[in-house]
Amino acid sequence: MTSYLELSSITKSYGNFTALDNVSLSVEKGEFVTFLGPSGSGKTTTLMIVAGFEKASGGSVQVGGRSISELAPHDRNIGIVFQNYALFPHKTAAENVYFPLQMRGVGRGKGLRQAEEMLSLVGLKGFGHRHPKELSGGQQQRVALARALVFEPSLLLLDEPLGALDKNLREQMQIEIKRIQRSLGVTTIFVTHDQSEAMSMSDRIVVFEKGRIEQCAAPLDIYHRPQTSFVAAFIGESNLIPATVTNAASREADNPLLGSFEYAGADNRLTDGQAVTLLIRPEHIKLSRNQVENRKNVRMIVDTIVNYGDNALVIGRAGDIPMRVRVLGADVVIIKEGEECCISWTPDSVFVITK
Amino acid sequence: MNTFMRWAGILVTIFIAAPLVIVVPMSFSSASSLQFPPPGYWFGYYRAYFTDLDWLIPTWNSVVIASATTLLTMLLVVPATFALVRHKFRGKSVADLMMLMPLAVPHIVMAVGYYSYLGDLGLVHSHMGVILAHTCLSVPIAFLVLSANLKGFDRNLERAALSLGASPTKTFIHVTLPILRPGLIISALFAFVQSFDETVVGIFISGRNAETLPRKMFDSIRQEADPVIAVISTLLFFLVLVGIAAPYFISALRSRVPKPSRSPAGAH
Repeated sequence: MTSYLELSSITKSYGNFTALDNVSLSVEKGEFVTFLGPSGSGKTTTLMIVAGFEKASGGSVQVGGRSISELAPHDRNIGIVFQNYALFPHKTAAENVYFPLQMRGVGRGKGLRQAEEMLSLVGLKGFGHRHPKELSGGQQQRVALARALVFEPSLLLLDEPLGALDKNLREQMQIEIKRIQRSLGVTTIFVTHDQSEAMSMSDRIVVFEKGRIEQCAAPLDIYHRPQTSFVAAFIGESNLIPATVTNAASREADNPLLGSFEYAGADNRLTDGQAVTLLIRPEHIKLSRNQVENRKNVRMIVDTIVNYGDNALVIGRAGDIPMRVRVLGADVVIIKEGEECCISWTPDSVFVITK
Repeated sequence: MNTFMRWAGILVTIFIAAPLVIVVPMSFSSASSLQFPPPGYWFGYYRAYFTDLDWLIPTWNSVVIASATTLLTMLLVVPATFALVRHKFRGKSVADLMMLMPLAVPHIVMAVGYYSYLGDLGLVHSHMGVILAHTCLSVPIAFLVLSANLKGFDRNLERAALSLGASPTKTFIHVTLPILRPGLIISALFAFVQSFDETVVGIFISGRNAETLPRKMFDSIRQEADPVIAVISTLLFFLVLVGIAAPYFISALRSRVPKPSRSPAGAH
């Protein structure tokens, strides 16, 4: 039983440079999957291969059990929203949305009515007669979305569509895109380098790095159970502490500067003497004046305090290892920059990364 | 300094506009040859121009040659520009250079070349000969205008059209062509004007059969200084003026069309 969208061992090289290295992925029908990664990690290249604008050097793409690798882009029935929207400037909003229907032989009257319906769904009722340059960035975004959805595509691809919008509008569009995607049940791939966007919108996140998939999992799994140090560092804020497993049976590891650690678990089998990385999220660390019982306590010298109002980020050094602690705004008054304090955590907060 | 610059500006403007100040009144002059200031004014030379076949035939020749040159130029330049702007291939930089070469070579050198070359082909004194020669001169100008337009063209628009189900041909017809239309029109206009205006090559190879208007004007000014020349210059000047002003005029008219009021829907 194969999934709706299957990428099998996709490879892409430009001369000696390998842009994609053996990328495989299964996406279920109706799923919202985000490709997340820094620029040049291969996420956009993968998207372009699915769309047919780039040809893979190896591997295959299947949709609904049928290979589309050999199909031309215009035969793939895939809707795409580009970062700059790519609306046709010489056509009105409604004509833009009608275009894919026109290409499928739908008559003008019927097609334009359908386009207007789609525009209402994206919240642009009555804007059909406007040209793109008479619309705001967010409105253009909605037209692009309507145009990519009106022909009931087998896949919806979104290539950093929110990159050009300001912060408030971006959050509003995140919710809006999610709502439209759910109501139509269209299988969607969303490309972004913004981790909060990925976290808030996706059913699953695929983290790309250097042309490979680092991890593919649900947002909270990615956050709490990263499989590699790269994922841990890329998603959210993290304290990564190199350590050696001293006793796998009693779940203990050791860092030469911070001493012995108890950890809750790891997704892989560990052996004594294995080199690992310990992940502690900044919000799981407690900051206090004195030692706290039943927790692992470490002394830290505070270098910088960054206030955000409701919370604050305390940056310091514990035995020369840089540490970040996130505390509630009210708690930060107990400490000043340059002072020494106590930071502590429970074994539950320590996750072991083996790669 | 500021005053100096202002006066310099005014002087330059006067210098550029001076020929017009002289030519336009002279076209209405009653003198029997070019003379400034005119002794009296009448429309006689306008009537002469529009009734004398010696003037009308070269005018017609020029229109035919410039139109054919424009057509031929665009047929060559459009595919060439797409190839040179969008594709990488062996010998591209050489091809780029060859396209622009006629701009750098003096017209007189080109003219001598065409004279002997087209002579061997039996095309001297023929419309076809002048059209071929003018096309060579128009190609670099049309290419420069169109390639600047094409470089600024957002290729995502074509990708979007393809993803929406338009074949490459339909993408070209429905998206690429309409968006490039202003660039194509200006490019063709430059090609037309370049041919219509061209004198040196015209003198060398147009002969009596395909005599162009600039050639006829040149002959006339050498022999009799016929004030009809002033008439033609004036007409051409106003023709160009209309050509330049038309786009501004049209866009000014368009922007005066009242826009529908913003509807208060909660969309952004």
